[in-house]
Amino acid sequence: MSHTRKGRARALQGGATIEDIAASVDACLLCGSCEPVCPEGIGIASMNMEQRSKLNKLRTNYPPWYPKPSGINTRIKDNALHNSIILIAGEYPGFDIKAHSNVIKLLGGNKKVSLAADDGRDIAGLLEAGLPVSQDRIDNFIRPLRHADKLVVPEGLLHVPLRKWLSGKKVIGIGEALLSSAHIRKALGPEDLYIIECRGYHSDYERLVKFYDRLRKETGCQTNLDLQRIAIPTGASSLQAKKDVEAAGCLEQARWIIRGRSMKRIVVEDIADLDVFQRVADVPVIHISQFSGDNS
Amino acid sequence: MHIPVFERGIIPPDPVAPDSLKGIPRQKTNPSRWQGDNWQDFVRDLQSRGVTVCEGRADCSVFMTDAGGVAYSLPHGVVRPNSAEDISKVLRAAQAHRVPVTTRGGGLTTEGESVAFGGLLLDMSSMNRVLEINSDAMTVRTQAGIFWHQLAEILRRDNLDYLSAPLNLTASVGGTLGVGGIDVNSPRLGCSADQAVVLQVVTPTGDIVNCSERENPDLMERVLFGYGQFGVITEATLKIRKFTPITIQYFYYSSLRTAIEDLQFIAREDASDYSGILTILDRAITLLVAFDSDEREREFNTRWKRSLRGHGEAGFGLRMAGHYTMHPWRIKEAAYIIGRRFKLFPEFWRPEFMHHGKIIDRTVVFSRAVWKFWGGPQMVIPDLSSKAEKFVEAVERGNAVCRKYFRHYTLYCVGIKLRGRLPRYEMSCIPPDASDIAYGCEFEPMLRGTNYSRDYLQSFKNEIYDIGVDMGLSYYRFGGMMKGYIRRAMGDELVDKHLAMKKAADPAMVLNAEVIF
Repeated sequence: MSHTRKGRARALQGGATIEDIAASVDACLLCGSCEPVCPEGIGIASMNMEQRSKLNKLRTNYPPWYPKPSGINTRIKDNALHNSIILIAGEYPGFDIKAHSNVIKLLGGNKKVSLAADDGRDIAGLLEAGLPVSQDRIDNFIRPLRHADKLVVPEGLLHVPLRKWLSGKKVIGIGEALLSSAHIRKALGPEDLYIIECRGYHSDYERLVKFYDRLRKETGCQTNLDLQRIAIPTGASSLQAKKDVEAAGCLEQARWIIRGRSMKRIVVEDIADLDVFQRVADVPVIHISQFSGDNS
Repeated sequence: MHIPVFERGIIPPDPVAPDSLKGIPRQKTNPSRWQGDNWQDFVRDLQSRGVTVCEGRADCSVFMTDAGGVAYSLPHGVVRPNSAEDISKVLRAAQAHRVPVTTRGGGLTTEGESVAFGGLLLDMSSMNRVLEINSDAMTVRTQAGIFWHQLAEILRRDNLDYLSAPLNLTASVGGTLGVGGIDVNSPRLGCSADQAVVLQVVTPTGDIVNCSERENPDLMERVLFGYGQFGVITEATLKIRKFTPITIQYFYYSSLRTAIEDLQFIAREDASDYSGILTILDRAITLLVAFDSDEREREFNTRWKRSLRGHGEAGFGLRMAGHYTMHPWRIKEAAYIIGRRFKLFPEFWRPEFMHHGKIIDRTVVFSRAVWKFWGGPQMVIPDLSSKAEKFVEAVERGNAVCRKYFRHYTLYCVGIKLRGRLPRYEMSCIPPDASDIAYGCEFEPMLRGTNYSRDYLQSFKNEIYDIGVDMGLSYYRFGGMMKGYIRRAMGDELVDKHLAMKKAADPAMVLNAEVIF
């Protein structure tokens, strides 16, 4: 039996052990949507990561989708980056080096924007799984970023830790970064369904709910926000989905998001959503980095 | 520890401290309460019929309390049914083995009605699918474990909405129909239960029966407002309507009586689509009036608005300033009211929920505010419901009790349109002497930041409930821990009549047995 976040708290209060609720703790996709709607203001997603961490100390058999629990200490040599904006984006199918160049161009060009060599992907994976990340690895990751004013980070799971590690830096998602340009916003219209990346959105909800509300009112585009203005996740970025996108429920979620909607295009912020929506929708699906800013 | 097995009917020695009980016969402290008899046989029976019973500590602990947070207990096991057939199997086995079954939707009861004191808990939230939307007949057929908020999400894709539902995001359809369900449009549209057209019900003996006002009407009348005594609602066909954003007007009062009289005037005249009173203590009383259309609002402005005695915010602010200037020793109270106003009201105007000056998704806006400003781990909300003529006195007496017990509290008053004298209203939250429109008031202390003992909270609730007994009123919540009031409030004759009906429908008295009888 799976439990909601509140159910897990109740179970623990009632004397259940963390191992008793392991299936439920592992099932969470860490979309973060529970946090903004929690009436008590509890940091639920981070609690879940802590619970995974506790669980990991007790178990020897990890779920099949876990990253390797040890031996990961990627060290990518990266000099300090001196531009005011740094894009922290790794290469993925559909979001390759060419797409990075386009994003950099849209954000102001090479004189203003740098691309970090280290995308911190392994750190995100370890954090999500509740596995330890060495301080050395974190230092290596953030060292080149210290001169920047703004970090553009497509991986939403890294937003909260980056704000903690580099306090004072503005950490935003790729959607917000690009949509700050009027050219890009003009490319959106009422026949677009715009899929907001959930983890970054929910980590800075009070600010971003206003940002995307303005976007919706200005462009008329549809979004994946529900009636509570929570971004309905596909879960495609989760570790579970990387192992099996269907078993993680991503396709079902995507079908629910598009159900009953009239649209001619789907635009996704999260590159992992590209494949998911392409599999369930009969309209073109593009990543926001594919906007050129003038002919979209 | 080894616990020896004894033959049924033999009283064993106490396995924990047998020496201390020498010469003292072991007796059940409450022989009328189920003591776990036949549980294993019951579970084996269900397993043989393909029904999974979860008995783990984690599975059961999830349901150890309800929104009230005062009643605590664990079921022996939990079933998350997938169909009416599953529930039928559960209830047939429960009758055979005399095992109590407690149903639970969102768990939003406040007196422990959805807490299982042993036995089986049916977690209805697993049955949460919308089965059919009929936009010609303007109905939706849904499984009853769905939360109203989920239903709204689905209906909205077709620009539709339900009629009325509690202002709470996690109330389930089935649970609501079983107790009534009140919204700020209830003065016009009635209770949520009155929106039900057809129900699929599993009776306490396990029969799966459809009922409506034409088909099995007696069952329909027993199940609606029936507090789960006469069957488990598994599917409901409900009336729906086109979705509309709403406009809201606020009127401010410093007199409860005047505000209630104006609320009743609006309800009587059908002057608005939504109306209700929310207060900060009994000093700042807000009458909320809202409209589905510009035409309705224009009509209100033209015909009725000038008759209301409430003030606009600026005018009321000046009056309050004058009052507290004359009563400077109450400055803390003034500060509380001002602080509350500045925290609470912006929640109703959040830009992401507004469009062209209208509130969209009113359910979300109100429910979020309810959770944020009135919610908490413990919800103490005794209430009274009365006919129009007695309502002012009931609220004023309840308000005096609130003043006596708490520094900070709020009152929520709303009208409930009745559909004549339907049998379903008998022994329900609808007061027996009400006609046309009944009125309800919730008395809710603000508990945050102060620890009150359970006895203190119970004493407060008892004093509110005593008002109901004294004045011949009813209550929205009269089950669970306050079932002791039922005979005092409603009389032996009526309670015995319903008890006889319950025994006929539920021979082993297993379905939600702890709630009422």
